[in-house]
Amino acid sequence: MKEELFISGRDIPNIDPFLNIWHWQIPIYLYLGGLAAGILFFAGIFTILGKEKEMSTTVKWAPFLVPGALVIGLLMLFLDLKHQLFFWRLYTTVRFESPMSWGAWVLMFITPLSFIYAATYLKEAVPSWKWKYSILESAERIAIQYRRALAWVLIVLAVILGIYTGILLSAFNARPLWNNSILGPLFLVSGLSTGTAVIMWMTKDHRERKIMSRIDLVLIIIELFFITHMIMGMLAGSSVQIAAAELFLGGQFTVSFWVFVIILGLVFPAVLEILELAGYKIPVAIPALLILFGGLVFRFIMVEAGQITRYLY
Amino acid sequence: MSEKTKKDFSNHYLNPYFGGVLLGFVLILTFYITGRGLGASGAAKSTVVTTINSVAPGYAKESHYVSQFISDDEHPMNNWLVFEVLGVFAGAFLSGILYGRLKPKVEHSPKITSRKRLIVALIGGALFGFGSQVARGCTSGAALSGMAVLSFGGIITMMGIFGSAFLFSYIFRKNWI
Repeated sequence: MKEELFISGRDIPNIDPFLNIWHWQIPIYLYLGGLAAGILFFAGIFTILGKEKEMSTTVKWAPFLVPGALVIGLLMLFLDLKHQLFFWRLYTTVRFESPMSWGAWVLMFITPLSFIYAATYLKEAVPSWKWKYSILESAERIAIQYRRALAWVLIVLAVILGIYTGILLSAFNARPLWNNSILGPLFLVSGLSTGTAVIMWMTKDHRERKIMSRIDLVLIIIELFFITHMIMGMLAGSSVQIAAAELFLGGQFTVSFWVFVIILGLVFPAVLEILELAGYKIPVAIPALLILFGGLVFRFIMVEAGQITRYLY
Repeated sequence: MSEKTKKDFSNHYLNPYFGGVLLGFVLILTFYITGRGLGASGAAKSTVVTTINSVAPGYAKESHYVSQFISDDEHPMNNWLVFEVLGVFAGAFLSGILYGRLKPKVEHSPKITSRKRLIVALIGGALFGFGSQVARGCTSGAALSGMAVLSFGGIITMMGIFGSAFLFSYIFRKNWI
């Protein structure tokens, strides 16, 4: 594609009438970013509440997954770039009006901080662990001393990261499905929910699982409310927004959206969690996997469907 | 409900005749909602077709049988029966939870091993899968849904399936009792 040779506003390959530039890497990145934000958010919250002992998986063990998720997510972003060697240019400027700038800078801070946070619990995870250099030992001591401050920073950054995964899409004003302000909070809540699913799955402590399961239930209800709100908002909009909503209401994404995202990804795991709270025995892997899978499908559908919605017909 | 006060339902099954009536209502509802009958082997067929089409698309195009289920407009998995079977999984799972039967196990006669049961079930399943494609439907698709709309093929399939089941259950009874 030679952008410098465009002579018409219409009929541009891969952009008009349909956007065809974001492929599988973007939804995977949005998913991992949301998941990382979710885990860090709850790790931070329970650190500040002083519940390291009661909520050990949330505070100590699940955050070990975050650096990996963020690094793989960044790799996905990198794979998506067309001019990969110029990625550093994002870091030559700060633009408050650009979600990509927000995202680039948030990731610049949250990724190393997530490594530091996980490293402060490394010795508890691997008792025989010793840092090779004494400077790392003292760095660890300082990091442990300021863990609560770190937790505050991580909570703020996690919320920005979680919202940003939605804003990245909603800032596209040329795509009616994406261009609504509920997408940021929706992706944040969905990311938090996938984070709790991972923690629920990892923990062996029944009380911790129950707490996370309750939190997740609330998040699922909020998420369903946001999705309803998004669709209602679009249906109350102009005809292009109605056309965007109709992709989920009889259009080509109807079955995948309702079956995999709403029913199997949200409602069914919520029912299982309610049954578990009511005392029934349920293997936690099932609701956790369904939530994780539903979140992934949701991002694939939003990225895919958003690209075929448009303002000009 | 706490676990102590909960009744043990794990050996408590629905009356089969009542279950049959309920299944009939499910079938009526299915016709009403989807405009089609129930089925099970169709989902397996869609999965097989999709697998063949992904692994060996050239063969899938040439094969007279497989090619009829492949079109450019629609993915073979985008089929009501596939989603119905997903729903069956979810519903069976819920029922297992509610009646306290949710644990991995292989049900078999005490005289045979789990291994033998699984191998025999696999052979039987493969034969039934083949038969269902020759008969254009299985117990649910051809016999149940077919007979509900008074299809002659459905009645023949029903007689074929249950007639041969009586015959072969005598020959293979030692696997069960």
